[in-house]
Amino acid sequence: MRKFLAVVKHEYKKIVYKWTFLLGTLLFPLIGACFAVIPAIIFSIKGEPTRIVIVDQGNKISSRVRENLSVDKIAAKAEQAAKDAIKDLNASQNERVKQSSKQMAEGFIFVNYDAAGKSPEQIRTELTAKAVADEIDAYLLVPGNIDAADAKFEFLSRKAGDFVAGDLLKDALNDAVRSQRLADANIDEKIVSSLGKRVNIDTKSIDETGREKNSDMLLAASFVIGLMIYITLAIYGQVIMGAVVEEKETRIAEILFSSARPFTLMLGKLVGVGLAGLTQMSIWIASVVALVAFLSMQADMSQMFAGLPHLTPLMIGYFLLFFLLGYFIYASFYALVGSMVTTVQEGGQFSLPVTMILLVGFYFCFAVIRDPNSNLSFWVSIAPFLAPLAMPVRIIAETPPFWQIALSVALNLLAIAGLVWLASRVYRVGMLMYGKRATIPEVLKWIRQA
Amino acid sequence: MGNSEATLRVDNVTKRFGDFTAVEGLSFDVRAGRVFGFLGPNGAGKTTTIRMIVGITAPDEGKIELFGERMSPKMQDRIGYLPEERGLYKKMKIVDQLRYFAALKDVPQSVADKRIDKWLERMNLAEWKNKKTTDLSKGMQQKIQFISTVLHDPDLLILDEPFSGLDPVNVEFMIDVMSEFKSQDKTIIFSTHLMETAERLCNDILLINKSKKVISGSLREVKASYGKNLIALRAVGGEAMLGDRSLVAKATEHSDEIEIELAENADPQALLKKLIESGANISKFEKVEPSLNDIFIDQIGGVK
Repeated sequence: MRKFLAVVKHEYKKIVYKWTFLLGTLLFPLIGACFAVIPAIIFSIKGEPTRIVIVDQGNKISSRVRENLSVDKIAAKAEQAAKDAIKDLNASQNERVKQSSKQMAEGFIFVNYDAAGKSPEQIRTELTAKAVADEIDAYLLVPGNIDAADAKFEFLSRKAGDFVAGDLLKDALNDAVRSQRLADANIDEKIVSSLGKRVNIDTKSIDETGREKNSDMLLAASFVIGLMIYITLAIYGQVIMGAVVEEKETRIAEILFSSARPFTLMLGKLVGVGLAGLTQMSIWIASVVALVAFLSMQADMSQMFAGLPHLTPLMIGYFLLFFLLGYFIYASFYALVGSMVTTVQEGGQFSLPVTMILLVGFYFCFAVIRDPNSNLSFWVSIAPFLAPLAMPVRIIAETPPFWQIALSVALNLLAIAGLVWLASRVYRVGMLMYGKRATIPEVLKWIRQA
Repeated sequence: MGNSEATLRVDNVTKRFGDFTAVEGLSFDVRAGRVFGFLGPNGAGKTTTIRMIVGITAPDEGKIELFGERMSPKMQDRIGYLPEERGLYKKMKIVDQLRYFAALKDVPQSVADKRIDKWLERMNLAEWKNKKTTDLSKGMQQKIQFISTVLHDPDLLILDEPFSGLDPVNVEFMIDVMSEFKSQDKTIIFSTHLMETAERLCNDILLINKSKKVISGSLREVKASYGKNLIALRAVGGEAMLGDRSLVAKATEHSDEIEIELAENADPQALLKKLIESGANISKFEKVEPSLNDIFIDQIGGVK
């Protein structure tokens, strides 16, 4: 047992204490963070408030614009938009939405300007001069008759690039003009808004317990999970094969075999490398969870993430379990190939069939995502070799009854037992055969003899 | 541990690979405190035999006893095995590799660390402790491999071609270390192609060829049993004596000396006495022993 632990420790350290592991492990969350967190942080930085002059020749619009640009109005509007997008805003998200709306609304300072008796040309020149002198940032000219054919609204700003402020102003202006027109036509604004309300189509699936589920982000999430398992299994399989070939190539195997039993050595290697994989997976999952948590606190991003399937700790547990099952299946396969060949390059060619099975398993994920409850999905998600990829995807898409998960685990454990047994037989003979690659009949003979 | 106690007993061991018999009916004893030379041409079955002794493979027939018990995996911790084809992890620090090899022999790390420092110091490799294998010369790697073989202070040391790749200074150094082990009453099994070295170091030898034992015994016995009673003589005068058939079976003249094959049961002393009495001026009178090399070539060549 002590020897087994020594092998586990050795293999684990060999991978984890390498800078490439550190890089790979940290790079993934780091890139994720760069794409998600940094823009959120940058956009949340408050710009300087825009000092604005509104010149309203008809004197009908400006008060409405001002009102629309008030903190309460903007906040209420943003809140409504968020509520439309997300069905169930929780309390903290609600608070966040309000806060960030307020931030946006605090972006305007209204500067008074007396336009009485001045010609439009004169007003334009004077305000432009003020802008140049850095007394104001922008001005809005509202024509006297907003419904005239040649009515032209003019918005001039030194900060033309500030699209947040620009959009807010445009919205406020449009709303103000619309309200004015409705008022002029004697139509109640409330009636119009209730008539014009859009129909919301909310795509949801119903699982067997009758619970409703949002399927919008489901596809993406399942796909990412499948891809993650596929990549990790392929990478760690190659790592195992490389380690086996190295010990064979450098003839270390002979020393190892004179110190511990081949089975102990192989199992120790599988477990050690597996723990390294699990370490990496855990760091990744933790960073994804942290990232999602952070982003859903950002008001403007929360709409996006509210559609994500809700990840329960049980799901993460299943996910890691199936990752481990898959790892042991493919790693023992790769170990078997590694002890047959003489170089890593040769191993690459010989492991092609294994890689193909892995790829097929990955492709089946798409079928599972499209119809998690079909017969195909059932068989794929319990079949050894395929289940480690298909079952986690299926669990997220549509958690199957427990007996199916249990059956899948049991079948794959059986497959692992068989494969480890097979691999250890090939390993103990193959590792001491130098010089040439073993042929399939030879390998079969080893398995029978050992 | 007395010298009569056998550290290792190989009893009628046979190993087959399919139709090929690698070792057939092999028996021998190795005693404590002695250097045992395990000799034979390539493909004779040496490596297969050693692999069975260290427990990498099991014999098909016969049994192997170590320290008075039947070979089992736990005995592996008492054996230090330096294989002929050996290696180190390329990209790992020397100290980490040595720790790992020690751990596989069940040595606690604190003990291993002390021994690693001691041996590295002794091998003049202390400053390479944290270097990687690829930074070391072949000779240095060889020494590291030797250290890995002795870190668990084994009672039986099996060295397969331990000197290949070493310069003469390091060969002498290794021989010193080996004699030290010998003086601690540990047992060394030593396999080599260099007959001169074997002759110098071994107390006992075993020569195998084509899966079977050819000769075994102490070096002295083997040589004595191989002696053809040859005398090398360089002398002026006394030629008449060489015609004495009761003493000399055959005399062959070489350029500057005469090779004399003594008659059966003839006493070399009697011949020497007669030569002196006959007034011969003798500059050389030497009983010629066959070298291990001669025996090797004679045996292996003869069997062919």
